[in-house]
Amino acid sequence: MATDHSGTNHDGSPHGGFLSHYVFSTDHKVIGLNYLWLALFSVFLGMAMSLVMRIHLVWPGAHLPFFSGLGDSPERYAALTTLHGSLMVFLVLTAAPQAGFGNYFLPLQIGAREMAFPKLNLLAFWATVASFLGLTITFLIPAYTAITLWIVSVAIFCTASLANALNFSVTVIDLRGQGMTLPRLPLTVWAWFINAILGMLIFSILLASCVCLLSDRLLSTHFFSVMNFVANQPAGAIATAVPVLWRRLFWFFAQAEVYVAMLPCFGLITHLISTFSRKPVWRERFVVLALCGVGVFGFCVWGQHMFSSGMNPFSPLVFSLLASSLGVPATILLISWIETLWDARVRLNTAMLFALGFISLFLSGGLSGIFLARHDLASAAVSEDFVTGHFHLVMGVAAAFAILGALFFWFPKMFGRRLNESLGKIHFWLTFAGVYCVFMPMHWLGLMAHSRVSSANGLASVAAAGSSIRNFITGAILLTALSQGLFLANFLWSLFRGERVLENNPWRATTLEWTVSSPPPADDFGPSDPVVYRGAYEFSVPEVAEDFVPQHLAAGQVVKARESGE
Amino acid sequence: MPGTTATPDIEIIVEDIGGGGGDDGDGGSDDGKRRRKWPASPKRYSTAIAIGIVAILMFFMALASAFIVLRSSSRVWVTVHLPPVLWANTCVLLASSFTLEAARRRLSLADVRGFRKFWMFTTVLGFLFVAGQLVAWRQLVAQGIYIASNQASSFFYIFTGAHAVHLLGGVYALLYVLARKFKETSVSRSTAAEIASFYWHFMDGLWVFLLALLYLGK
Repeated sequence: MATDHSGTNHDGSPHGGFLSHYVFSTDHKVIGLNYLWLALFSVFLGMAMSLVMRIHLVWPGAHLPFFSGLGDSPERYAALTTLHGSLMVFLVLTAAPQAGFGNYFLPLQIGAREMAFPKLNLLAFWATVASFLGLTITFLIPAYTAITLWIVSVAIFCTASLANALNFSVTVIDLRGQGMTLPRLPLTVWAWFINAILGMLIFSILLASCVCLLSDRLLSTHFFSVMNFVANQPAGAIATAVPVLWRRLFWFFAQAEVYVAMLPCFGLITHLISTFSRKPVWRERFVVLALCGVGVFGFCVWGQHMFSSGMNPFSPLVFSLLASSLGVPATILLISWIETLWDARVRLNTAMLFALGFISLFLSGGLSGIFLARHDLASAAVSEDFVTGHFHLVMGVAAAFAILGALFFWFPKMFGRRLNESLGKIHFWLTFAGVYCVFMPMHWLGLMAHSRVSSANGLASVAAAGSSIRNFITGAILLTALSQGLFLANFLWSLFRGERVLENNPWRATTLEWTVSSPPPADDFGPSDPVVYRGAYEFSVPEVAEDFVPQHLAAGQVVKARESGE
Repeated sequence: MPGTTATPDIEIIVEDIGGGGGDDGDGGSDDGKRRRKWPASPKRYSTAIAIGIVAILMFFMALASAFIVLRSSSRVWVTVHLPPVLWANTCVLLASSFTLEAARRRLSLADVRGFRKFWMFTTVLGFLFVAGQLVAWRQLVAQGIYIASNQASSFFYIFTGAHAVHLLGGVYALLYVLARKFKETSVSRSTAAEIASFYWHFMDGLWVFLLALLYLGK
């Protein structure tokens, strides 16, 4: 199958055959990059879908060339929404920050030369690709088969994520380099690690639910079916009959999935902010505890969704408390970011801009989340648009900003070239303004839908305002999507023509990946294993010539740093 | 990949799929002889099996909680009488844990022949258990109880089926330890046997738990 003729190949040298180097390579860097390519493709596909949806909302009569051929039934719109959601959540938000950047940089940052189980890693990647293909094909085939295929694809994705989570946690536990004690781990690694453990727990649950759901569809069992639920309930409950068990299991996964997407982003952002503020992370241990807290609470808040979706939950008070207690670790993270930024000589490059943008989005999205965590408000005053606006700001766009920030930060290491800064800044400001114009009015729409207007006159004016807001949103989303073209152009141009990075450590960062060449050699660290002597965030250390001390310098070498730089 | 084609790689990957059920620590299939100049710590396999066990446990807990919720909320629960052969199967599986330990004791006494004998015996008991589960299924089918007959039967088939799949992963691990030559690998035979034994005992305990759940919930 793979024809690798060059028998004189050196280990993993780039001259190997295409298949053995890109398709069947077990190198963590290649796999990480592959995940990023997949995420890049998915994010543009998903964005195109959201464009089509918004256009349909504003001009329902408009015929879109490709979609008219598929038939304009209402199921198409629902399928579009589902596919947009699954692509964005699974293949972008879950895959890119964790599997993409994580695979590439976790071993480099902890001084390992590979993931614990390289072949399992490769297998997980191709399973992810399979699930991507499965998800995408669902759009083109009839609804009943499509839903079955969707479930199968999600189950495959679960298995891949479980394999990934296993790989990540074992790598962090057992493959850390010499001197890389737990307190010296970069916060990115902490976040990937905690996230892997959280993913381990919740993807098992989703997998179990998928197995039951598949057996319902294919073997005609009755785990979740509505009929079965109705038969078991007293007559009065039938009006609101929904398969409650499915909801429990699903939200058990889905609520925690939000944190699975966010946790690595928290790590990335903390890392970026410290590096570009040239200051140590404020209260690093508290930040680690906060990350753990996000994991633990995130795992426990599944019940909160039961009342957001209008159901009487098992115990609203408990879940409301738990959901609100997520505010505690979130506040610790925010305070740490702000304290780190406080009085710092901030370097406002594009990566840092995206990090600051993340904080802004996280804050505004998080504030509207407080409304949703109150069970009395949530069921009464909030409609779909409010929830859509909330979670797109806090989960989708904020995480996308973290991914973009990390991309600008690590691009020189991955490709040996820089992304263009001016283009990057224009892209940032357009996107930043764009997403606020898209999702803030959505909150407003959601609140308006429930404002109790009694007179017909008032109702008409609300409807008119609503439709003009919808038009505004669609205009803003067009602008935002167009400005992503700028990013794509910047990305592709810089990949081949960008300014070359000649030094190993262009950002003056401290962690181990910056000690190796850009891009890193196949065996990561060359002949000798790296040794770590200090914590990951020693910036602005007094009495040192440079304003940072990398992790691999021993106490004796730091003095030398005064003359030689690095 | 020095001087080889990529094909052996693919074969090893296929071999990995055979493991199934999330038991990826089944004893050192990932030992790269390539590209690594430092000894791989066998610790990663025991860590992996510990974490894998937690994940598998979570999978079955999700099913078990679904069982408990449906059982307690249902007003038309049809009881499925467990086929008596299950008790025999349980004894077989429990016995296999003891023979496994006996094998490991032989190994620690450097009695490789005795180890092989008991290890083989354990594997046979594992197959016997799976065969016994199939008999139980056939008995239910003979009574006209299929997976879709009622909720209790659905859970019975799903529990036993999912457990059997995971157990077959364990059988694969046993065969792997039996067949593998542990000369050139970083993992010793006793480590591999130990890791496989963790998984096997877990499967054993899991089955007892599931059986108790099915028995008490009927």
